[in-house]
Amino acid sequence: MRTLLVLVARDLRQHVSDRSVLLFGLLIPFALSYVFNLAFSGLDDPQLGEVAVVVSAPTGDPAADAVVGTLGALADQGIPVTVLEAGPGEVADLVASGEADLGVTVPEGFGAAVAAGEGARVELAQGADTGLAADVVSGIVTATVQRLDADAATVAGAAGAGLDEAALGALAADLAAAAPQVEWAERTVAGEQLGLAGGIVAGQAGMFLFFTVGFAVLALLTEREWGTLPRLRTMPIPAWQIPFAKAVVGLILGTVSTSVLLASGQLLFDGVDFGWWPAVLVLVVATVAAATSVIALVVRYARTAEQASLLMSVIAISLGVTGGTFFRVPTDGLVGTLLQVNPVAALVRGLGITAGGGGIPDLAPVLLTLLAFTLVILVLARLVPGRKDAL
Amino acid sequence: MTTSTPAPASTPVLSSTPVLEAVDLVRRFGPVTAVDHVSLRIEPGQTFGLLGPNGAGKTTTISMICGLLSPDGGSVHVAGVPMAQEPLAAKRRLGLVPQDLAVYPEISARQNLTFFGRLQGLHGAELRTRVGEVLELVGLSDRAKEPSKKFSGGMKRRLNIGIGLLHHPDLLVLDEPTVGVDPQSRNAILESVEALAGQGMAVLYTTHYMEEAQRLCDRVAIVDDGRVQAEGTQDELIELTGGVDTIVLSGGGDVAAAEVSLRGIPVVQKVARDGNHLRLVVQNAPTAVAGVVRTVSDAGMNLSDVVIQRPDLESVFLHLTGKALRD
Repeated sequence: MRTLLVLVARDLRQHVSDRSVLLFGLLIPFALSYVFNLAFSGLDDPQLGEVAVVVSAPTGDPAADAVVGTLGALADQGIPVTVLEAGPGEVADLVASGEADLGVTVPEGFGAAVAAGEGARVELAQGADTGLAADVVSGIVTATVQRLDADAATVAGAAGAGLDEAALGALAADLAAAAPQVEWAERTVAGEQLGLAGGIVAGQAGMFLFFTVGFAVLALLTEREWGTLPRLRTMPIPAWQIPFAKAVVGLILGTVSTSVLLASGQLLFDGVDFGWWPAVLVLVVATVAAATSVIALVVRYARTAEQASLLMSVIAISLGVTGGTFFRVPTDGLVGTLLQVNPVAALVRGLGITAGGGGIPDLAPVLLTLLAFTLVILVLARLVPGRKDAL
Repeated sequence: MTTSTPAPASTPVLSSTPVLEAVDLVRRFGPVTAVDHVSLRIEPGQTFGLLGPNGAGKTTTISMICGLLSPDGGSVHVAGVPMAQEPLAAKRRLGLVPQDLAVYPEISARQNLTFFGRLQGLHGAELRTRVGEVLELVGLSDRAKEPSKKFSGGMKRRLNIGIGLLHHPDLLVLDEPTVGVDPQSRNAILESVEALAGQGMAVLYTTHYMEEAQRLCDRVAIVDDGRVQAEGTQDELIELTGGVDTIVLSGGGDVAAAEVSLRGIPVVQKVARDGNHLRLVVQNAPTAVAGVVRTVSDAGMNLSDVVIQRPDLESVFLHLTGKALRD
């Protein structure tokens, strides 16, 4: 054990003084996270612009007032709406000229027609390229008209059933005043996806983790080129300690750099919170172990440090891209299931769980995925014919 | 280099126990048998040479001796400790100086020695003392704090040797330590090996330079094609030639035709060509030389130099294998 510590301490000292580890382990991923965050900020929380709506509606018609009143209430929902009044013949022109984004024409006798079950036609005109806010307003007006239509159908049905005029009036008044019986509410649950900024930070951390671990483990090949590897193998130490020391250094460097990156992202970027840190650390260690197994496979396969570095870069970028470093990847279907085996994807998914309030038990599927991945790759690494190093 | 009195080995080797006993070592790489039933025995205090051309199997042999390669057959005991059964204990008894440099370039000579010393089990005051002694021994005390990447080739070689000596092994294995070294550094390395041998350290020295083996070694094993062709003291080996002499002919013209012609003369036992040089093994050089010169001249070779040599290890190698040592 003493000699293992000697080996680990020497490698750690070397890597700490090596700028490449600092560069690829911390600075580049953080800089990329910053740049991507700047480039894509706001995409996952769109701000709705102001909508100008020109309305033509008969005065003294309660049903028409209900439609127009809906527009006025939208400001409370975060959609600023400016309502312009116009005559029936002016609505289309104002929308066509761009002075209004949306035109609503409620015909004369709208309320009476609805109440009599005779049917009525409300016209909506939407300008070209008016954006998301106008779409939302259009949808809300449509829904309001449909509700009025449903109310009218209810009243008509009641009249058909023989209700007297007083009772019909009371029913119509109740329907008009009734609040929606079905409500929806948003609730945060474990397993949700990370927000855009959190996803960027997690993805970058996951991809660059492979480089950090790679520097530590690929030092084995550098030592082979320096000639120090055969010399180490003539030392009175168990042979397994030499590669194991590199793996331990990889675990330490990978865990520290990934944790620092995630913590920095949480501190410096708006809206990023990865949740309960003990769970995050368990997830990070499991991911680093998976990355270490991949690099161990590379070491077994590669013949030179240069070849290994190239392979490592290809693998890191491939796993990063398919793991959601640069864009979100599908999570359902066969492809989605296969992609979830990717350690980078598993890290991003796991951080989504912790960010949603999940703890270590909630991470179990992700941790088991990472453990299975690590074991399979280690077995593969054992099966790859290794080098027979002589002097 | 300077010398210092070595610290005593932690566990002295009994005088009756050979420092190295390698028996019937065999190692194959696919269809090629690189080492074919090689046996070596080195006594305490002995300097043993493994002399042979490149590719003879020297490095593969010492890779097995040092526990870097598992033999396909045979056994290795270092100071009585079996390498196969007790590799850590056996490795503690030997120090390897590999042919290629094996030092960390980014750290200093002192840090290199300290690191490998710790792996050898040295620590504390013992480690500091031993590192200081070795730095003195290899002449790097003044440059001990500099990164070894700033050293000259010769200085790196000396540090390479120092690491092998650090734990004062029973057996120091040097694999072609002078390859690619300038003459001054080469001489310094040979002097340090002589000094270590003078202090009683057993040395296994591989080389393809005949003059190094002649200068340093008490006993020499001549290896070629993975086999030990002969082994003994230098006098014993020279006796194998039957007291024959060597004539070295140098010159231009049709050297190839001269070689063919010489093979037809009864007094010439063996002929080897090395560029424009012909090396002949003859029974009695003074009487044979006149006929030899006439034959090569008739064959079209323009002689520029004729040298008669007393038998040496080169002659032995030629006698045993029919090849020059540097073929």
